[in-house]
Amino acid sequence: MAFDALFQPIEIGKLTIRNRVVSTAHAEVHATDGGMTTDRYVKYYEEKAKGGVGLSICGGSSPVSIDSPQAWWSSVNLATDRIIPHFQNLSGAVHKHGGKIMIQITHMGRRSRWDGHDWPVLLSPSGIREPVHRSTCKTIEEEDIWRIIDDFAQGARRAKEGGLDGVELSAVHQHLIDQFWSPRVNKRTDEWGGSFEGRMRFGMEVLKAVRAEVGDDFVVGMRICGDEFHPDGLTHDDMKDIAAYYDATGQIDFFGVVGSGCDTHDTLANVIPNMSYPPEPFLHLAAGIKEVVSAPVIHAQNIKDPTQANRILEGGYVDMVGMTRAHIADPHLIAKVQMGQTDRIKQCVGANYCIDRQYQGLDVLCIQNAATSREYMGLPHEIEKSTGPQRRVVVVGGGPGGMEAARVAAERGHSVTLFEGAEALGGQITLAAKAPQRDQIAGITRWFQLELTRLKVDIRLGVHADGATIDDLRPDIVVLATGGQPFLTQVPEWGYAEDRDESLVVSAWDILGGDVAPGQNVLVFDTICEFTGVSVADYLADKGAQVEIVTDDTKPGSAVGGTTFPTYYRSLYEKEVIMTSDLALHKVYREGDALVAVLENEYTGVQEERVVDQVVVENGVRPNESLYYALKERSRNHGQLDLEALYAAEPQPSLATLDDDAQAGFLLFRVGDCTAPRNTHAAIYDALRICKDF
Amino acid sequence: MLDILLPILLFSALALAAVGAVRRIRLWRQGRPSPVPVLRGLAAVPRRYLVDLHHVVARDKVMSNTHVATAGGFVAAMGLAIVVHGLGLGSGWVSGVLGWLLLAASATMFAGSLFVARRRRDPPARLSKGPWMRLPKSLMAFSLGIFVVTLPAVGVLPADAGGWLVALVLAAVVTWGLAELVFGMTWGGPMKHAFAGALHLAFHRRPERFSTKKGSGGNRSTGLKALDLEDDQAPLGVETPSDFTWNQLLGFDACVQCGRCEAVCPAFAAGQPLNPKKLIQDMVVGMAGGSDAHYAGSPYPSPERGDQPVGEHHGTPHGPIVAPASTKDGKALVDAETLWSCTTCRACVEECPMMIEHVDAIVDMRRHLTLEEGATPGKGAEVIDNLIVTDNPGGFDPGGRLNWAADLELPLMADVERAEVLLWLGDGVFDMRNQRTLRALVKVLRAAGVDFAVLGNEERDSGDVARRLGDEATFQSLARRNIATLAQYRFDCVVTCDPHSFHVLKNEYGAFYPEGQASDYPVWHHSTFINQLIEAGRLRLAPGQAARVTYHDPCYLGRYNGEYEAPRAVLRALGVELVEMQRSGYRSRCCGGGGGAPVTDIPGKQRIPDMRMGDVRETQAEQVVVGCPQCTAMFEGVVPPAGDEEVAVKDIAEMVAAALDTTPVSTSSTPRDASTAQATEEVMS
Repeated sequence: MAFDALFQPIEIGKLTIRNRVVSTAHAEVHATDGGMTTDRYVKYYEEKAKGGVGLSICGGSSPVSIDSPQAWWSSVNLATDRIIPHFQNLSGAVHKHGGKIMIQITHMGRRSRWDGHDWPVLLSPSGIREPVHRSTCKTIEEEDIWRIIDDFAQGARRAKEGGLDGVELSAVHQHLIDQFWSPRVNKRTDEWGGSFEGRMRFGMEVLKAVRAEVGDDFVVGMRICGDEFHPDGLTHDDMKDIAAYYDATGQIDFFGVVGSGCDTHDTLANVIPNMSYPPEPFLHLAAGIKEVVSAPVIHAQNIKDPTQANRILEGGYVDMVGMTRAHIADPHLIAKVQMGQTDRIKQCVGANYCIDRQYQGLDVLCIQNAATSREYMGLPHEIEKSTGPQRRVVVVGGGPGGMEAARVAAERGHSVTLFEGAEALGGQITLAAKAPQRDQIAGITRWFQLELTRLKVDIRLGVHADGATIDDLRPDIVVLATGGQPFLTQVPEWGYAEDRDESLVVSAWDILGGDVAPGQNVLVFDTICEFTGVSVADYLADKGAQVEIVTDDTKPGSAVGGTTFPTYYRSLYEKEVIMTSDLALHKVYREGDALVAVLENEYTGVQEERVVDQVVVENGVRPNESLYYALKERSRNHGQLDLEALYAAEPQPSLATLDDDAQAGFLLFRVGDCTAPRNTHAAIYDALRICKDF
Repeated sequence: MLDILLPILLFSALALAAVGAVRRIRLWRQGRPSPVPVLRGLAAVPRRYLVDLHHVVARDKVMSNTHVATAGGFVAAMGLAIVVHGLGLGSGWVSGVLGWLLLAASATMFAGSLFVARRRRDPPARLSKGPWMRLPKSLMAFSLGIFVVTLPAVGVLPADAGGWLVALVLAAVVTWGLAELVFGMTWGGPMKHAFAGALHLAFHRRPERFSTKKGSGGNRSTGLKALDLEDDQAPLGVETPSDFTWNQLLGFDACVQCGRCEAVCPAFAAGQPLNPKKLIQDMVVGMAGGSDAHYAGSPYPSPERGDQPVGEHHGTPHGPIVAPASTKDGKALVDAETLWSCTTCRACVEECPMMIEHVDAIVDMRRHLTLEEGATPGKGAEVIDNLIVTDNPGGFDPGGRLNWAADLELPLMADVERAEVLLWLGDGVFDMRNQRTLRALVKVLRAAGVDFAVLGNEERDSGDVARRLGDEATFQSLARRNIATLAQYRFDCVVTCDPHSFHVLKNEYGAFYPEGQASDYPVWHHSTFINQLIEAGRLRLAPGQAARVTYHDPCYLGRYNGEYEAPRAVLRALGVELVEMQRSGYRSRCCGGGGGAPVTDIPGKQRIPDMRMGDVRETQAEQVVVGCPQCTAMFEGVVPPAGDEEVAVKDIAEMVAAALDTTPVSTSSTPRDASTAQATEEVMS
């Protein structure tokens, strides 16, 4: 049987798990009402269980103590008995579908923020500041230590009383337990530090207290790091010693292993490897831990497709595979494997939209799946066929918004025609995939392409649809997803002209799209500071150009998410790209064969010049609105959306007018950047929530 | 002159027929012994002919009536001719009555033979030509000849009307008729079927197929006969024609070459090198020795050459049927591919008016190839090896039988020891598609509150595939071990969603119970069991699904076990729109998945499942409902023709599971109102 290794059940402690696939602990930022697992939370995990995942470990970094704040990341709060009935709802929903669910419990120590909510005083073994959160803390006292140990035990009890199947003690990501372990952070000389046993003691006391509280028939696991990747941190050999030390107690039912520490921006990027990483980059660390422990080992990190997962399991490197982002992208991944529909799996592309939102304290969402974590609103992962009349739907624009609109409308059973002006689907995704190490983002298009083919959507490539083209199809509904154009006309002094020979500046799209050859000596001016600017700089440098990327913001790439800007920086610094802040592009003029870029300091007004042979400007996107305004007056709804219905994910009232023969014309909707420039998720969400009721 | 000639002709024909009969019987007796009750068998012939055989023949009304007229007319005419013309018995009015009767009989026969002639004018492809083309003329010669020579006996013509020349012509015509119809019966020729057919009915190897006066109708007898592996003398299967039992040879000889088997054979239609009619005729050739050059029906298809030419194959009673690998031209009586093309669907047996057992013969010959030669083709050998080592055909870890159900907490027989239902899971446990069916079935059983348990890792492959591939030894080993496991537990019945396991457990395990033990439990296919649950009101079904479905009868459920109704009853209960395929019920066309055919994988011009899905598509159904993991696998492997919608393949358990009414049972007003109303009435009275 294909995927045999994946579908071997496994015993963890006294628990049988139906397959080898885990959604490992991640912060969802979904808990509400002071850290309770309410409806949204339950539905998010129920969807994964319904989709066949064996085990979900929910609540990454769920605190057990009042001084490990939950509010910043809307974490699950195990510091109160109030959580127990909520857990009962959660465990009941997951168990109903044959899944198992545990929760990660922790005290974050210094790894948090103190400047809000209860204004807590953060703690760590030796009071050393944490760089990622810029957090300072006090040196933990003996009384705090014993209080927190008891809090762990009480948190575990609450999980058990709530019907969860186990807890995972977080000793990873520089939480309090591994803050005690790491000599980088633990400088104590008392019995809680110093020697190996001393540094191990806090974690050991936590384990003992938890086990004493929950007994033997409840799973207690531990998530550890495989190597902190800091010269003064814990090495892989250290971690093997630590794992073996805890394993020897016989009290640990499983180990989760994460490659890399994460108390710097650079190491943090390793923890959730984005698309620049190879598959399973840290599997060897987990396999190393497996060598020295008897308990089963779970490993996540860039395991995204079932064939890869099966190969890892067949190789015996670890006992269970974490496919966490893979399940955020497609909670029905396992079911699709079982249905023989692996081609239908929406595969995670490693864009890290999910985790980069989480680091900003925003709810975890998927760049390409707008239904994820919106199950509670009734947004569907599997679109049901409409029971109403079949409509003729025309979608203009084959970017992410247009592809989603076409997919959803076709799943509803309508007859769908999709126009795309270019010779391939993808829109801006196609451009984004051109940058070095960013090619995997094209996976979003690949999935849509497969689905649209399966759904027999009439795709017309290379056609710039106009009013007449659309009228020919006599549509009931028109969805515009015409995107936008680089906004280079905002500052006339830049010298942009439509005629490329005359224009003094080019856009990032011109370069990434291959329409303009890279120069030798290039200035990239990026006022947006998101992916496009650093992508084009990286692309140019990769082609051999000398590149300076200049922004009037605080730093190039500053709006790129926390797990992604480090991989850009690694690449840019390695290629000696100069990154300059606080300068705006004031003017460009030609001098002989060269171009002179005049830059003006944001704070002093002092101007300086660069002599280059190419100036690339990234100033965001201006919507393509002309088709919309050409059609607007002719449409039944004048292109308008009912916002209350839209935000409540309810059917647009205008859909009811389609059955009114007295009215003529079609309904007109806009999705994505052609309304206002936003991002991929926004375009897909626009399309899903409008089109799901067609 | 005729009154001298006719007795001579009649009695010489009878004498020649007797000599021929002895020679024919000698040919059959080359086969291995098979004890039969001779007198009881002979006594049963009329009933078996008039009831059971007629039941099959009557499916073609015109041919049935034609045969009644022709054969009935002939038997009566021949008997009366012996009395009237042969013995010259009867005098006065008796002779007149006999004469008139003889005229009536021969006239009836003549009328019948006109219909035979009509059918031969533009015969369908399935009918053999050759000598069969002259049969209507022979029938007419006999009936007309006898009619005319009888006219003087009733005084319509004078005794010497027409003179000696006319008498000679008439004698020649009668001779022709007698040659074909009397001694042709035992010397070969088309009429051989009457002699061999009658005796085949008497000495059939499956007498239980026939009805008795007590029973209401014929019983099904579809389980393969066990090979006695303990008997050193018995050959392991059939290598040469003489390795068949004598009554099997007799059965082959009864073939009328009507080609009904050919018309229904899925392998033949797919262009695989099998034609059941030709195979039977090849056995007839082998029994007497010779080549197939005189065969005048459709040959075996050949994917390369279109048709296999006749005349290339030859055999002898004691020579190999399939050429051993060492033979120079690789040819003997039949090619191995012919035997391995069969899906054991039993469509041929179901249609055969002569009650010939094609599938038994094919499996007998496969047994030799597998057990003696080790020549199972394709992946067959690998499947058998897997079965020997892992007790399942896929070679999966035998400890993983319940992996698919790790989250279902199925009760194990080893734990509970007794249950209402023993749920036999089958090897579909290793197949992700069938796991969905199994999960659906478990859901249905739980919804109905059925007390069931599974054997889990104690279950082994039922042995079906091993047996159909000819590996009787592996089959018997699996069967005996499964029987020993079953014997440890108490249960009221076995339920399975696999018709192959169902058939084997129900019909074939009986022969392998240890002395003094017997299987004492009913075995149900899940469709039957679910129907029982619905009829007993144990399942709450939500209001009808608006789907247009067609139902495919699995061979091992339908033809092998006669269950056509329960699945349809279940579908009716679901409220779906059921449209029947042209070939359904006992005429259902095989999916191509039986008898190990998918693993031996003999190439043809097209694939059987493609043809069957074509049948499905003709009904314009959105879904095809099946009740067999093999059928599901075969159908889901079919790629729809370009532009066609995919037709969903659903097991009947999945249909039922999807229709379960999961809304909580209402405890609100209705019952209380009813009781209040009742109370009020009591007060009022």
